[in-house]
Amino acid sequence: MNRKQRLASRRHMEAGFDQLLKRAMDCAGVPASDRQDFLNWAVCNEWTRFREERMNKRIMIENRVRNLGLRFPNGTVKKEYYYEFALPTDEISDVELVGAEDTGLHLEQVADGLFALKGRPMNVTDYKLTLRYRTVAGEPASELVVPVAFNPNPRDLWKNIPTNEKVHYYKPDSAKEYVKVASAEGKAPRKNMVAVSQRGRSHAQEGKPRDDHFGLCHCDESDWYILTVADGAGSARYSRKGSEIACETVVDYCRGQLRDNPEFEEAIRAYQADSSEENRTDVTRRLIHILYNGALKAHEAIRDVADANEEVKMRDFATTLMFAICKRYDFGWFIASFWVGDGAMCLYDAETGTAKLLGTPDEGEFSGQTRFLTMREIFHDPDIVARRMRMTIVPDFTALFLMTDGVSDPMFETDLNLRDYSKWEEFAGKLRDGFSDDGISGVTLSDDSEAVADGLLGWLDFWSPGNHDDRTIAILY
Amino acid sequence: MRRLPVYILIDTSGSMRGEPIESVKVGLETMINSLKQEPYALETVSLSIITFDSEVKQVLPLTPIDELQLPDIYTPESGPTHTGAALELLCRKVDQEVTLTSEGRKGDWMPLLFIMTDGKPSDIQLYNRMIPEVQRRKFAGIIACAAGMTARTEPLKLLTDKVYSLDTLDSTSFKSFFKWISSTIALGNRSVGATDELELPPPPPEVNVLL
Repeated sequence: MNRKQRLASRRHMEAGFDQLLKRAMDCAGVPASDRQDFLNWAVCNEWTRFREERMNKRIMIENRVRNLGLRFPNGTVKKEYYYEFALPTDEISDVELVGAEDTGLHLEQVADGLFALKGRPMNVTDYKLTLRYRTVAGEPASELVVPVAFNPNPRDLWKNIPTNEKVHYYKPDSAKEYVKVASAEGKAPRKNMVAVSQRGRSHAQEGKPRDDHFGLCHCDESDWYILTVADGAGSARYSRKGSEIACETVVDYCRGQLRDNPEFEEAIRAYQADSSEENRTDVTRRLIHILYNGALKAHEAIRDVADANEEVKMRDFATTLMFAICKRYDFGWFIASFWVGDGAMCLYDAETGTAKLLGTPDEGEFSGQTRFLTMREIFHDPDIVARRMRMTIVPDFTALFLMTDGVSDPMFETDLNLRDYSKWEEFAGKLRDGFSDDGISGVTLSDDSEAVADGLLGWLDFWSPGNHDDRTIAILY
Repeated sequence: MRRLPVYILIDTSGSMRGEPIESVKVGLETMINSLKQEPYALETVSLSIITFDSEVKQVLPLTPIDELQLPDIYTPESGPTHTGAALELLCRKVDQEVTLTSEGRKGDWMPLLFIMTDGKPSDIQLYNRMIPEVQRRKFAGIIACAAGMTARTEPLKLLTDKVYSLDTLDSTSFKSFFKWISSTIALGNRSVGATDELELPPPPPEVNVLL
C-alpha cells in the first residue's frame, strides 16, 4: 500500500467512526443540535473519571507498599551490610533508592520481586532514604521515606587512658608473673605457675585503675604451691586495695601454716591410704585451720585497713577471693581450695577428660551480683566449709585454672557450662589457638617463662561483646 | 548476651502537646546518639519506652541500642495522666523482658528506670498500689523527673528518693536532662554489686535536685 492509499483508508475509517457515533446518538435520542455539546460533556466527564481511577489505583498501590512496613535494620560502619526485602513488582516498576549512594550502599534486584540493599556503610549517621517507584503510566513517581542508621564499631571507640599514678592505692594497669620450679638433677620437670592480670576496657576507657589481683607462691621450704585470684568490686571505691590485701594475706598465711606442718602432711597420707570418714575429718579439720582461717585473716586484714580510716567502710574494699594449695606426693597431687565470689576455679585433665570445678560461683539474679570476702555474713554461714572448701587427690592433671569473671563470663557464660567438660576442652583450645580473626595469638604452656607470661597477657585482650571487665587468670601446669 | 535494660516512662498527656513533646523527642534522639558513642553502652544497653496519658503504651519494646529506631510519639488533645497504669505495664514488661540468672542462662544487669511527668497521677490509688510492686522489681536505680511548674513532686518521692525537676519544658532543659540520663546509663552497669546506691553523675544546671 502506498502513502496515498493509506491516507484514503484512514479517511474512510474516520468517516465510518463518525457515522457510528452519529447513529449511536440518534438511537439515544440526542437531537442533532445538541450533538457537539453532549460529546464534549461526555468526554470531559469520562476523562476526569479515568484520571481519578488512575490516581486511586496509584494510591492503592502506595498503601500496599507502605503497609509492607519496610524497615532497614541499623548497620555498623565499615561492616558488610546486606538486607533483602520483597516489593510487588507486578504492580510497581523503576524502583530506585534515592540517597543510598551517599551512604556507601546500593540497591540491587536479586530476583523477581526481591531487592537487596548492600555495601559497606561509610559514615556514622542517621539517613533518610527515599524509595522511589512508578505505579500507573501517566501518574507521578511514588515515594516512601525509610530511615536507616549506621552505628560506630564499638571496637573503634575504646580508649586506653593510663591510670593516674597519684591515685590512692595505685596499682599498674597490668601485671604478670611466672614461677618456674626447678627440678632436681636427673628428675622429671616440675609443674610451673603463671598468672596475668589486665585492666578491663571499661576501666581503661575512663582511666580507672585495675581492681583485680593475683598471688603465686611456690614454697621452696615445703614444696607447696599457692595460687590466688581476687576480683575487686567495680562499684567499691578501694576494691583494688581489697583484692591486693586479700591475695597477699592468704599467700603469707598459708605459706606460714604449711612451712612446718608434719601432722597435716601425715593426715593427707593417711587419708590417701585409707579414705575413711575419720581420716577425712582429720584432714578437713586441719584444712579449716589453713584455708578458712586464711580467708578470715584476709577479711580481718581488710577490716583493719578500713577501720584505720574513718572515711572509708569495709564495703569500699569489696573483693572476691579464690585460692588453692597444691602439693605433689609420690601417690599424686593433693589439691585444696577455698572460694568466695564469682569467677571460676577448675582442675582440668585432658588425659582423663575431666574438669572438676572446685566449688560453686556465687551469683545473684542479675549479672554482677555476687558475694564478697568483705561481707561479715560469709563467715557466719554454718555451711561455709561444705559450700566453699574443696579437697581432692588426683594422680596428675593438665592444669589448675583460677580466673576472675572477666575471663570466665565471656568464656563460659553460665554455671551449667562451667560444669561441662567439653566447654573446658573448648576453653583449652581457645587458650592454645588464640583468636586468629582478631589477631590474638594462642599460648603454649611451655617452660619458657617470658614467652608464657607475655603470651598469656596478650591473650587476655580477646574480644567479647559486652565483656570488658578486668581479667585475671592464674594457671598451675 | 547480658544487657543493661533501661526503661523510660514518658508523660504524653495533653499538657505535653506541642513544644514539650517535640523537645522530649529531640532529647531522646540526643541520648541515643550519645550512648552509641560509648562502646560499653553500645554493646550492652537495651532501651524500652512506655508513654502514658489516658492510654498507656509500650511504644518501644526492650531493644538493643544498636538496633533501635525511635518510634513516633503522639500526644492526645487533653485527658488524664494514668501514671499508675504506666507502672503496672512497666512491671509486666520487666517480668517478661528482663532475664534473670539461671543455671543455663546469664542474667541481665539490674535494670534502670527513668520516669518523666509534667503533672500528677490521675489514677492515684493504682499509682500508690503499684509503688511496692515497682520496688520489688529490684531496679538498680529509679530516677524521677518532674518537668515544669505544674508537676507534682510528692507522688514521685513515694516512688524513689532520686527526684529531680526541670523549671521549663523547653528543648534546652530536656536536652540537658537526657544528656545527663545517658551519662547515668553509661555508668549504670558498673555501679551495681557491692553498694546498693546507684552513683549518679552530677546533674547539669537545668536539672534541679529535690531534697
